Amino acid sequence: MSKTPYEKYGGFATVSRIVMRLYDKLLDDDDVGPFFDDVDMPKLIDHQTKFVSSLMGGPASFSDTHIANAHHALTIYDAHFDRLKELIHETLDEFSVEPEDTLAVLGEFEARREILVER
Amino acid sequence: MSIAAINEQLLRAIGVGVALVKVKSGAIRYANDTFGDWFGPIDGEVKLSELLAGAELMDALKRLETEDSFTSEVSFKRRRRSMTVAIEANRALDEGEDIAVLVCQNISRIKELESMIDSYAMMVERNTHEIRREKEHVEKLLLNMMPRTAYEEYKSFGVVAPRLFQDVTVLTLSFANFEQLIEDHDPAVIVSELNDVYTAFDRIGEQFGCERVRTAGDSYFTVSGVPDPVHDHAGTVANAALRFLRYLEQRNTSHPIKWNARIGIASGTVIGSVVGVQKYVYDVFGPAVTQASEVQSMAPQMRVGLHPTTAAKLDTPYHLEPVAGQELTLLSEAPVAKETQT
Repeated sequence: MSKTPYEKYGGFATVSRIVMRLYDKLLDDDDVGPFFDDVDMPKLIDHQTKFVSSLMGGPASFSDTHIANAHHALTIYDAHFDRLKELIHETLDEFSVEPEDTLAVLGEFEARREILVER
Repeated sequence: MSIAAINEQLLRAIGVGVALVKVKSGAIRYANDTFGDWFGPIDGEVKLSELLAGAELMDALKRLETEDSFTSEVSFKRRRRSMTVAIEANRALDEGEDIAVLVCQNISRIKELESMIDSYAMMVERNTHEIRREKEHVEKLLLNMMPRTAYEEYKSFGVVAPRLFQDVTVLTLSFANFEQLIEDHDPAVIVSELNDVYTAFDRIGEQFGCERVRTAGDSYFTVSGVPDPVHDHAGTVANAALRFLRYLEQRNTSHPIKWNARIGIASGTVIGSVVGVQKYVYDVFGPAVTQASEVQSMAPQMRVGLHPTTAAKLDTPYHLEPVAGQELTLLSEAPVAKETQT
């Protein structure tokens, strides 16, 4: 069985750093940041940890229904989704994730666009 | 630059928030830049209560009216980011007035990391739980394919060494007219019936101390003395065989499909081992197995055929009926031999 990016880049030790970096980026970003205005920190961190971990093929996979429910109250447009995708890309680059792995992770993310974005 | 000036510069630049506050009024006498960065700009006459998390800060201040020093934490949101600041407060006297010396450290990152570890720990626990369940499932499957001792050996060493078992008794059973039954009935029905029958055999065998080796279509194969030695292995298997037939007789009276079995029993030596590299199967083979299937094919329907190797070991309370000209003895319960269809 081939290694998932999660295993390849050092498991939780690396993922935790990626999570914190992405968390900082998200909160500082004026486009997607406002989505987190009213979210408690522990809840948000929990969300991000599971999010990054499962995107990279680590433990905790969200079901699509779960994702849909969690974002039910938010009005997300393509622009937000694209911005988040950019932020993920930037973050993975900072951690020297190889381009093909980054593409795979972004592909996983892109696959959920329809679930999240308002039409 | 004077020492005092250096001190002040230092105080400004360090990553610790420092403030001097009048305990009674809450008026801020001094705050360094870091303190201001966290709690809000300190311009002119600002009171502690006017800052971010002012209420909590004032509560902390109140404690200094009765205590000399304490530590606490305040949490607040600053630009959608949750901040947690640990405060060490000391009361000092300055020109007859109580002054609170507040030394603050930003512990938001620690809190965030704690949350992340909590979250991760939960994921890991759930995963561990799933893995354990999966493991139990696999174990259950493997225990269906091999005896527990063989499984333990397999688990520890990755292989099961072939073993010679000297004193064992083997039972093989097959059903008469099985091909016809398959033709006449829905496969699902046949499978469910066989499932029923084999489950009953397993249960009976277990009661008497037999270990089922395998089933293959209409043949059922069980053994006593593998892997653990059984003192009266021949009697054990003979009893089980008679109970198998009794079970089938009873079942046949109330079910549309009549299962007529032939049973063969032989005693002697077998080899027990896991066979196969990819598809593990615990198998038992050897002279006793061959002899058992020989007498099984000679036995009339719903009768138990004994090879001489087993017949020699059985005495009362069985009824033994040697068949002239053949290496076959028919077994039934003593004292009254049951005559069933032949």
